[in-house]
Parts: sequence; C-alpha cells; structure tokens
Amino acid sequence: MAVLTVKDLYKTFGAGTPRANRVLDNISFDVRGQTFVSIVGPSGCGKSTLLNIISGVETHTSGQISVTSDDGKPARMGYVFQDPRLLPWRSVRKNMLYVQDQADDETNRRVDKYLDMVGLGKHGDFWPGQLSGGMQQRVGIARAFAVEPDLLIMDEPFSHLDAITARALREQLQDIWSQSKKTVVFVTHDVVEAVELSDRIIVLQPGGKIFEDITIDLPRPRRQTDPAVATLQAEVLARLERMKGMAPQVSAAP
Amino acid sequence: MTATATQRRSSEEQASGTSAWRRRVTSEPAARVTFYITAFLIWVGLAAMFVRVPGPAAVTASLVKEFSRGEVFSNFADTFYRFAVGVFLSVVVGLAIGVIMGMSGLARAFFESPVLVGLSIPAIIWAFLTVMWFGFGDTSPIVTTFLTAVPFVIINVAQGVQGVSRDLRDMSSSYGVPLGRRVKDLILPAVAGYVLAGVRFAVIIGWNGVLLAEWFGGSGGAGFRARYWYDANQFAGFAAWVILFVIVIVVLDQLLFERAARRAFRWRDAGH
Repeated sequence: MAVLTVKDLYKTFGAGTPRANRVLDNISFDVRGQTFVSIVGPSGCGKSTLLNIISGVETHTSGQISVTSDDGKPARMGYVFQDPRLLPWRSVRKNMLYVQDQADDETNRRVDKYLDMVGLGKHGDFWPGQLSGGMQQRVGIARAFAVEPDLLIMDEPFSHLDAITARALREQLQDIWSQSKKTVVFVTHDVVEAVELSDRIIVLQPGGKIFEDITIDLPRPRRQTDPAVATLQAEVLARLERMKGMAPQVSAAP
Repeated sequence: MTATATQRRSSEEQASGTSAWRRRVTSEPAARVTFYITAFLIWVGLAAMFVRVPGPAAVTASLVKEFSRGEVFSNFADTFYRFAVGVFLSVVVGLAIGVIMGMSGLARAFFESPVLVGLSIPAIIWAFLTVMWFGFGDTSPIVTTFLTAVPFVIINVAQGVQGVSRDLRDMSSSYGVPLGRRVKDLILPAVAGYVLAGVRFAVIIGWNGVLLAEWFGGSGGAGFRARYWYDANQFAGFAAWVILFVIVIVVLDQLLFERAARRAFRWRDAGH
C-alpha cells in the first residue's frame, strides 16, 4: 500500500520575479492505502499543478512531498492524463510496453490482462489513430494500471469525452479499481463525478488553498443514478456553494 | 423566391463522372512526365538554335561511347564509394549533434554558430579547401561531402527534436521512461520527417560536393570524367555526364526517399 504525504506545500511560478504567481498555498494532506481521493476545484486553482508535482513533472517551491511503498522500493506511479498521450507511431501494445520497466513474458501477460479489462484485448496491434477518442483514453487507463502502480494519478481523464463514453469509462474505472485497489489521486472539476468515484474529496479554492476535506462513505459500486449518491452530491454541492468566488462546474448526469 | 439546393457529390459520383483518360491526364505522375517532355523539347530547341549546345542525339552517342569504353561504371563506383562514406558520416554525426542540440539549450548555444557557418559555406569552397588540405584521392571528396551535408542534417534534426510534443515528453517523465528508450521510441520517430528532410538535403548537397571535389582534385570518378570532357572542349561528352548526374539524383530520390517516407509515416495514413 502506498502512502502519499504532502506537507506545507507551496508552488509559485516565477518565484522571485515581479510576475510571481502563487498557485498552491500551504497544502497539507496524506493519502494512505487503498483509497480513491478526488481533488476538486475550479479551473486555475492548481489541481493539475499539484498532480504534476506529485508525479515529478513539476518541482515545488517549498514544502515536503513523499510517496512511499510497502516494499521499500521507490514508489511506482501510473498517470492518466486529460488526453490519451499515446505515441501515434507505435501500436497500442507497444505504447503499453513503452512505460514498463521490462518487456518479459510476465509484463506481456499484464499488458494483455489490462487491455482485456478495458475491452481492447483485440486491438493490441492497432495504431492509436485507428481508435476512437474513447478507445484511446481506455488505452491510457490500461497503460497506467499495467505498470501496477503504488500510486495512480488521474488528471481529469474523462473531461474531453462525450457524456455517454465518459459514463461508461467511469463505470469501467470503478470495476478495475475495485479489483486492483490502488491508491488513486483523481483530479476533476466535476463534483458529481468526484462523489461517484471517491472515498474522499479534497476541495481546492481559487488561490490554491484547501477549502474542505470531505469523506464519502457510500457502498460500492456506485452509479450516478443511485438515490444515495444523488443525495450526497446535492449535499456536497451545497457545501461548495459556500466557497465564495468558486463556481464548480457540474456535468449533466448522462 | 426560388430555393436553390447545393448538392455535394460523393467520391464515387466524382470518380464515375470523370472519364478514365481525363483522370490519368490530370494525375500527379502525368504532371511529372509533362515536365520531362517539356524539358526535353526545350533542350531540342536550344540545340537547334545554338551550335555550342549539344543535342540529344550527340549526347546519346557520347553516352553510348562512354559505356562501351567501360568508363561509366568504374568512375561511378569510385564516386559512389566517396559519396556513400561522406553521406553516412554526415548522417551519423548530424543525428547525434542534432539530437543533443534539440535536447539541451547549452549544446544549442555551443553548436549554433558553427552550424550556421557550415550552412553559409558553399560546396565549391569546401572542394577547394579539401583539395588543398588532402590533395588528390578519396579523402577530399569524402570530407567535402561530409562538410557540405552535415550542417543540413544537424539543423533539421535539432528543429525536429525541439518540436517533439511537450505532452509526450511529460508523459515519459511521469512514467520514468529511461533516456535510451525515450530517444528510440519518442524522439527519433517524432523527428523522422525532419531526419528524412535533412538526409534528403544531405544527399543532394553531398552529391554536389563529391562531384565538385572530383572536378577539382579527383584522380577518377564521375566529376573527374566530366572535367576531362570539359577540358577536351567536347561538350557532348560533358553533357552526357551531366545527364548521368541528374539521373542518379532523381533515381535515388524516388527509390530511396519516397519509399522511406512512406514506410516512416505509415501510421499516419492508418485512419479510422
């Protein structure tokens, strides 16, 4: 089980210059074990920057951040982006293998397993350009799970998809997650999506501070149409309404 | 008011509405053939007007004689050896420096000036210099080809590497993909178009270089043989070699680069 610890984290773009722009302001939280945490907030509140810092793509200005794994090895991370980010000149299978440590039989079996899980078992030899946007995003999800990450980071992975495809992929994600039970940090601006998927929602407000940390205690699997999910969504939305200046975007339930 | 409807024709309708001969006449191969026919007719016209322009018949006769003397293959073998070594070196060195330049600002700052200087020096200058440095033999044409071609490969590859998608680079970083695999699977395929363009330039410009070096300092080779006929004031023999130079480049371009480009970009043509 992975433990993600974020303590007193600050991020300022252009620090020390007249154009300095603070996007994360004293962020502290931790995520332990088989937990699905969503980070919610309006555009520009620093959600994606926080994910980039956790994944190591971006450096933070000050504070501490660590990801530890059980086995003492460096924590392995998987990343699902807003867009699929596949190499267009490599087949689906080679895209999956590109991010793997090794290309042995065991890895190949794992790649096949996750391609099957996202329903693309027969598309391993396709070019990404031969797949629809939704199928490409499923490859992106399978790629992230196939590295068997200690921590899985997802940055608004369904925001570029149509409502029906997004709903299908959310349900698929829940199924895969319930089997693999990874530690997931999921960024979204969609409160409804966050309630459906998460054990916990961390709300960022404009300026990059944590506004609220909400526990979602509902049985799984969840569907947006479940009455308990709908009730809790309304409650969370009402709480977010109190956040002055924030206008959370809520997708229409498909 | 009368309503007018604009009807779009399907590709099938368009195809069936155009006769086969018209499609053939307006095709891209037909445009190429048209150019060659036009150029040939202009040549015939110029030869008819000016005594010092040898016509197709005289040039063909010279070509046949050169072939029968066994001069063509032996001289081209020399030239191709020098040309191939020079181009190979320029591609290897150009790829390495281009990738480093594209990935590192420091390397870019270091190599930018010498590459610009290299680009600005014409092949004829390198030909003179290398003959002065290395004398007659294989070295001068090889070095001339290399020095003429390598800046084109470097500049193209560096531009390609700089243009590699930031999103894909970030994806690779976030998964901790090792540098070697990143170069092989991300950077090189992403810059394939630039590499092909660079190598294409390298071949064309390198061909100029090797011929010039042979012209001025060769002890054999196609450039040397062209000079031989020029010095002998035999324009038909000289023109025969020029025709051969052109044919070599056209054949190389069509056979090598057209096919390489089709292979390198087959993923791009694979639509839904």
